[in-house]
Amino acid sequence: MPAGRFAFFMNVPTLLLLVLVLAWPVIYAGYLSVHRVGLAQLRRGEFAFTGWENYGRVFEDPLFWGALQNTLVFTFVTVSSELVLAILIALLINQTGVWTSRITRFLILLPYAIPPIANGLIWSFIYSFQFGFLNRILFTLGLTDVPVNWAGNPDTALYAVTVPYIWRTLPFAIILVHAALQGIPRELYEAAAVDGASAWRRFWHVTLPMLRSVIAVILVLRTAFAFAVFEEILAITQGGPGDATWVAAWYSYKITFSPPNNFGMGSASAFILALMIGAIALVYMRFIYRRVTL
Amino acid sequence: MTDNVADKRALGRRQVLGAAAGLGMLGPSAAFAQAGGPWSQTPRSKVDRVNFVVWTYGDIYSRIGKQFEADWGVKVDSTISSFNDHPTKLATMFAAGEKIDVSQSSPFSFPNFVNQGLVEPIDDLPGAAEYIKDFTAFTGQVATIKGKTMGLPYFSAVWVWNYYADMLEKLKIDTPFTTYDEFIEHCVKAKRDGVSRYPVLWVAGVGLEQLPGTWYQMTWNRGGTFFDKQGKHMLGPGSIARETLKWWANTFEKGLDIADPESLKVQFTTSAKAFGAGKNLYRGPNHHYGLNVVNDPAQSPIAGKVKVHSSPGDGRTIGVTHVYFLSSANRNKEWAWKLLQYLGGKTRDGNYTQAVALAKDAMLGSGYTSVMKSDAIRTGWAPWGDVDAILKTWDKAAYIGEVCPSVYEPWHFPWTDQLNIEVQKCLTGQITADQACDNLIKGIADAKRKV
Repeated sequence: MPAGRFAFFMNVPTLLLLVLVLAWPVIYAGYLSVHRVGLAQLRRGEFAFTGWENYGRVFEDPLFWGALQNTLVFTFVTVSSELVLAILIALLINQTGVWTSRITRFLILLPYAIPPIANGLIWSFIYSFQFGFLNRILFTLGLTDVPVNWAGNPDTALYAVTVPYIWRTLPFAIILVHAALQGIPRELYEAAAVDGASAWRRFWHVTLPMLRSVIAVILVLRTAFAFAVFEEILAITQGGPGDATWVAAWYSYKITFSPPNNFGMGSASAFILALMIGAIALVYMRFIYRRVTL
Repeated sequence: MTDNVADKRALGRRQVLGAAAGLGMLGPSAAFAQAGGPWSQTPRSKVDRVNFVVWTYGDIYSRIGKQFEADWGVKVDSTISSFNDHPTKLATMFAAGEKIDVSQSSPFSFPNFVNQGLVEPIDDLPGAAEYIKDFTAFTGQVATIKGKTMGLPYFSAVWVWNYYADMLEKLKIDTPFTTYDEFIEHCVKAKRDGVSRYPVLWVAGVGLEQLPGTWYQMTWNRGGTFFDKQGKHMLGPGSIARETLKWWANTFEKGLDIADPESLKVQFTTSAKAFGAGKNLYRGPNHHYGLNVVNDPAQSPIAGKVKVHSSPGDGRTIGVTHVYFLSSANRNKEWAWKLLQYLGGKTRDGNYTQAVALAKDAMLGSGYTSVMKSDAIRTGWAPWGDVDAILKTWDKAAYIGEVCPSVYEPWHFPWTDQLNIEVQKCLTGQITADQACDNLIKGIADAKRKV
């Protein structure tokens, strides 16, 4: 059997599994989004076709646009912070001469092992206005004489949620960058050093270009996940105060799972979100990933 | 929507009585395990198991489940989630085609569940008429939808104020406030004298009856409503609801700054726990049973020092009843009804076992007049608060549906989502009370479109 055909058959089971597990729910959500679907219809399996009506309702809803705006801010803050921090921390723990970096490497993984909801609850307690650890520390250090309402103030709430999210998901980015750093040939650094390049120039002209592909992967994955942030919102603010932390996934959840359980409209909003994530991923791939592969 | 063909048989009172009479001729042991009311009758059909889907509350469900198994030899499965997650859990189970015999609902979700076909009426079931006769006024209003009885009561609660007696004494104030102006005076004095940085803790966390309940209660106490009997909103300029919101917002940071910022996060029980820290003078109007947390020495450093207080003016307040219902996705209607009675009615021995236990253990009120008038309430509530004062408030309580009749409408739920947002924005000074009310008026049409 030719190698190409053999490879095709070897890929079929994976393809089928992905279609079943990943593609089918997306397709089904798309199907629901153009039908009138409530609880009763879902149980009966009979849906009336409504065309683009659900999408129209979503676009008419000012709450959706507010949630989308919050999502964009959240995504920008978390992804950019994660990327910078991941590179910095990965460079630090990549210092093989420092024995503590081995311990750090292990400890850094811990937040990633914490379930998102538990993480949200931990930080909810840290942020507590009168009894939280954060205010207690600031108060003890003399940095403030009045407690700060981190998660309850509309000006700070969204940013307050970004911190636990970054804390939880940063290890993933660090691991990727650290792995990529280990793959950069030593000869490149040696050649740069012979040419008299400073540490900064070695980073800028050797390390960073060699990290481009992994940066693209981090950007795509972290953006997709940040766009769909839900657990920290649920545990810390539940969208409040007011609509200060309503994000797109929270919007879809509320529309779908709160009475009157409008699954059609919820699916439409989720589908819009999925399309946006897909579009952003394409942009990343086009402008960052492709340059590396060329 | 009962899926089994066998289960689709209507179980009328006449059929049951007829069967009972017929079987009675065969001998007493054949028809009923025990003489007495319909609650003690053994259903004719057989099931291996029954189940309920409820939100968590201590160990009441494991206890009542065990009692059911012991009495009837039928296994009880339970799906228990948190209060906030319950509607989602129930909805997904129903949508996925799972069997659900009995579930429960807040009065706010209930019309939606009925509207979507999750609930079966119980009027014709054996013994239902006796329960209905014993319903309190609240319960009748919650459980009756479109003229049909759709559930049995879980518990009832009325909205009361709390105050920290030691702090009041420290301020040399003899009695708690009797007017809203006096309330402000007390709070301003407590802050000025350095006795309390935030003298009032409101229940203003997002929810169906938490933040909205506080607004409903204070509006009703001032003589206002949110909608009239014809469904026209009462939120326009100069309305009592709008003026109440202005007054309420003024207690927060951008106004008098006497309201605890934690108010925006706390629910009923969490507000009781926060109040137990002893940092606030008053706790805004909310469910009466928080006293069993804040006056419990195991949970509160100021246990025994928190008193119940009624609202200004004629003391009118609001109340609510949560319900259990017979799911249309039941596996067997006879047995589902039997289980429903164990949760929201009588057990085999003819006692309101669950309602009495809830009164004694959790200070909850009952949806049954006979239980409310029984010693269970007096003895059960006495360790936590002034029973007479609470019962006096009880008599002045109206069901939330009278204050905000939209609770009967399916669009009330999405409208409440907006209400939570607009009011929190108002309380945090992002928008004015006028803007919040104007947005809510516009939001009525939007909410109707989402249904």
